[in-house]
Amino acid sequence: MSIQRFIAVTLLLALPPASVYMVKQTSWGPILAAPTTRQTGDPKAKVVIVEYSDFQCPSCAKLDPFIHQLLETYKGKVRLIYKYYPLTKIHKNAMPSAHAADCAALQDRFWPYHDRLFQTQASWENLSDPTTSFMAIAQESKLDIPKFQSCYADPARVAVIEQDAEEAQARQVSATPTFFIGDERLVGQVMASDGARTIEKALRQ
Amino acid sequence: MNVKNILLIITRVAVGAVLLYAGFIKAIGPSAEFAAILEAYKLFPPSFLTPLSVAVPYVEMWAGLFVLTGLYTRQAFFAAASLFTIFLVALASTLVRGIDLASCGCFGPDALSPRYTMILDAVLLALSLVSSNLAKLPPPLSLDRALPKI
Repeated sequence: MSIQRFIAVTLLLALPPASVYMVKQTSWGPILAAPTTRQTGDPKAKVVIVEYSDFQCPSCAKLDPFIHQLLETYKGKVRLIYKYYPLTKIHKNAMPSAHAADCAALQDRFWPYHDRLFQTQASWENLSDPTTSFMAIAQESKLDIPKFQSCYADPARVAVIEQDAEEAQARQVSATPTFFIGDERLVGQVMASDGARTIEKALRQ
Repeated sequence: MNVKNILLIITRVAVGAVLLYAGFIKAIGPSAEFAAILEAYKLFPPSFLTPLSVAVPYVEMWAGLFVLTGLYTRQAFFAAASLFTIFLVALASTLVRGIDLASCGCFGPDALSPRYTMILDAVLLALSLVSSNLAKLPPPLSLDRALPKI
């Protein structure tokens, strides 16, 4: 190999890592405070898990029982914060379901509503108007129905959801569910395989 | 410049640009996002996901750069063809196994349906194989032609 070729090969090999190093975002935007109604676990817990999720996402529904199990295993040690990230391009009922859940959050019944949305996902995900299903879940979750209805009819609540979604985008979240445990990002089913190990690591720090 | 050489240049730009873009867009994003997409293929053990999610974008970028600049052009086209073959087999296996991938992850978060990606991969694979054959002599406008071998 001639010296010119050697230099050219070296430059071509070095170019991708160098350009990625210059462009790659290495720190994520801040996580804004979420209302306590969308948090569960010990408020003073050492480890905070932030979840960006979509109620119409099948992976989110599939992972939900595992998250419950994880919270039970690390009771008193972890706190979970739920953030809305409705993938409206591919899930037509993602925004209405997040809106309904936020109305439940206003009545401090977010978590039962959240669980039922995931458990019944298959029954409402393809409906052209899922309102009846969301009302039924509101009744099951023992919500004040007139209050829920007036909140669900108020488009202003969507701003809260959009704020979470903007935060997710600023943090380069593109899939749901995405979890942050400290600086560690776990996407989708990777949470099931690596979640416990990552929590243990965060607890040791 | 004859038609063969013009085609070779067009092919180099097309194959090189696609590989460079696909690799770069994945490399600058969080590798955990790509690892999650790889997990959905259900082809790799969990311990391979993170190393693969970091390595694949760089391999794509290197192959793309060598094809584009025309340095070791035949070998670069062969590497590109190998990559397209691997991507095609991986995507086809998800169709056979009934795995519904929302996005193949080929271009990072930009969701391109796996079927369209398979067509693109097949076209680029064919172009790479033909060009690898055509590039027996140093192609025009290439580093292979500009730089001495010894």
